[in-house]
Amino acid sequence: MILAIEDLTVSHGEKKIVDKVSLTIDKGEWFALVGQSGSGKTMLSQAIGQLLGTNLRASGRIMYQGDNVLEYPKEKMNQLRGKAISYIFQDYHGSFTPFLTIQQHMEEYLQTHGVHQKTQRKEMMKEAMESVGLEASFAKRYSFQLSGGQLQRASIALALLLEPDILIADEATTALDSVSAHRILSLLQDLQQKKGCAILFITHDWRHVVRYSDKIAVMKDGKIIETGTKQKLVHQPEHAYTKQLIQAAPTLPMRIREVSKS
Amino acid sequence: MTVIEIHNLKKSYNPGKLAVNDVSLTIQKGESLGLVGESGCGKSTLARCLLGVEKMDDGSIVYNDAPIAHANRKQLRNYRRNVQTVFQNPTASLNPKLKIKDSLIDPYLQFKDDLQLKHFHFTSKQDFVQQLLETVELPKELADRYPHELSGGQKQRVTIARAISIEPNLIVLDEPTASLDVLSQGAILELLGSLQQTLGMSYLFISHDLAAVYQLCQRIAVMRDGELLDMFRKEDIYHTSRHDYTKELIDIF
Repeated sequence: MILAIEDLTVSHGEKKIVDKVSLTIDKGEWFALVGQSGSGKTMLSQAIGQLLGTNLRASGRIMYQGDNVLEYPKEKMNQLRGKAISYIFQDYHGSFTPFLTIQQHMEEYLQTHGVHQKTQRKEMMKEAMESVGLEASFAKRYSFQLSGGQLQRASIALALLLEPDILIADEATTALDSVSAHRILSLLQDLQQKKGCAILFITHDWRHVVRYSDKIAVMKDGKIIETGTKQKLVHQPEHAYTKQLIQAAPTLPMRIREVSKS
Repeated sequence: MTVIEIHNLKKSYNPGKLAVNDVSLTIQKGESLGLVGESGCGKSTLARCLLGVEKMDDGSIVYNDAPIAHANRKQLRNYRRNVQTVFQNPTASLNPKLKIKDSLIDPYLQFKDDLQLKHFHFTSKQDFVQQLLETVELPKELADRYPHELSGGQKQRVTIARAISIEPNLIVLDEPTASLDVLSQGAILELLGSLQQTLGMSYLFISHDLAAVYQLCQRIAVMRDGELLDMFRKEDIYHTSRHDYTKELIDIF
């Protein structure tokens, strides 16, 4: 187990946006958190890294290496975030400062987390760009000089730079077209297998869930309504809402494919 | 019967690179043609040329056996009425200062002098608005609301109701579900399918989502880098003669 969320509640005044949610993420697994807009999945993910706005209050426990990270002071959380727990977001443009190049982002990232040797930083940056299939020269560019798919690759390179234990991907491919999305997710799967980090994969697209995840939790109105292995939730969903989500995602008929192949 | 023919359409924004490169296709009466491709493949540019909001560099668009490039004012007006559109972003498609009922009735007011509706019969503007809302399964109370009071899915239903209000022959659907929540996406696809059955218009459904296109369309065209690579009937999607790129797309879903 790498991360355990116990009775997490995120509230905005009296209103509970996340309501007593518990889940555990094991080492190296792809954990999908599925739900509609407004179900609270983003709030849950932001509570983990203490990224919630000041108007929101998180209670309960988020256990990482025996500590409740909800209680971490700001400085300690800063140490953890980026190094042990990192994020990629839906809005890839917002993930970058427009007046810094990709390389400058990486420099800052590495220096903040204590990689002081310049040659080492250079080597790590080169490797990171290669690992996501971007030319080294792209590091010299500004974020607006890259396409959406390229930029999301760059943000993955950045997020995996320090080999975190868990990567939180919050609707990371929602803003991309389905072809680029697929390429990004395959890349993420490769990197996950190489580096062994766990992924908390937040999405509303059931098709991505079916393809990539090991474990699934379905969230509705701030509560986890069903959770289990992929096999169980895909083939024997119990909750009506889970069935509804499965049906809503259009798919190609599988059986015809098999027939025409033979 | 053919509703629209596109012949050798070319459009370029940057010298040396064609956004749409020599694309020809036809849409039959009452059919849904899906146009699939990645971001930047030229599918929206093609649609914009079709709608006349973008000027094509070369080629021709033929409607009712007449090229629209040579159409007179009256013919062009008739074309504009008969080719309607639904865009990806419903918020940007509705005037924020107009109540839903005023947005809905606007196309009718524009075209009412030369309009003979077959499906919709109404006694008053108010009655028409109510019927339109009912057709897209929205509650009647929404007529007096403003767009910001509606959800994304509801707003997209309004833009669909507006597009069908003057009973066009063709609706260009440019990623109509892309900005919607997953459950709304499925519902909008279903609504579009059933509207086509009742009203009988044709669709050009543009999307990067092959599975969504498969659900709604009878024929599917695939574009990449401005070129039309593949065109097939839905039943033939797994046929061995499919282009390698189409097979790649199929593997994603």
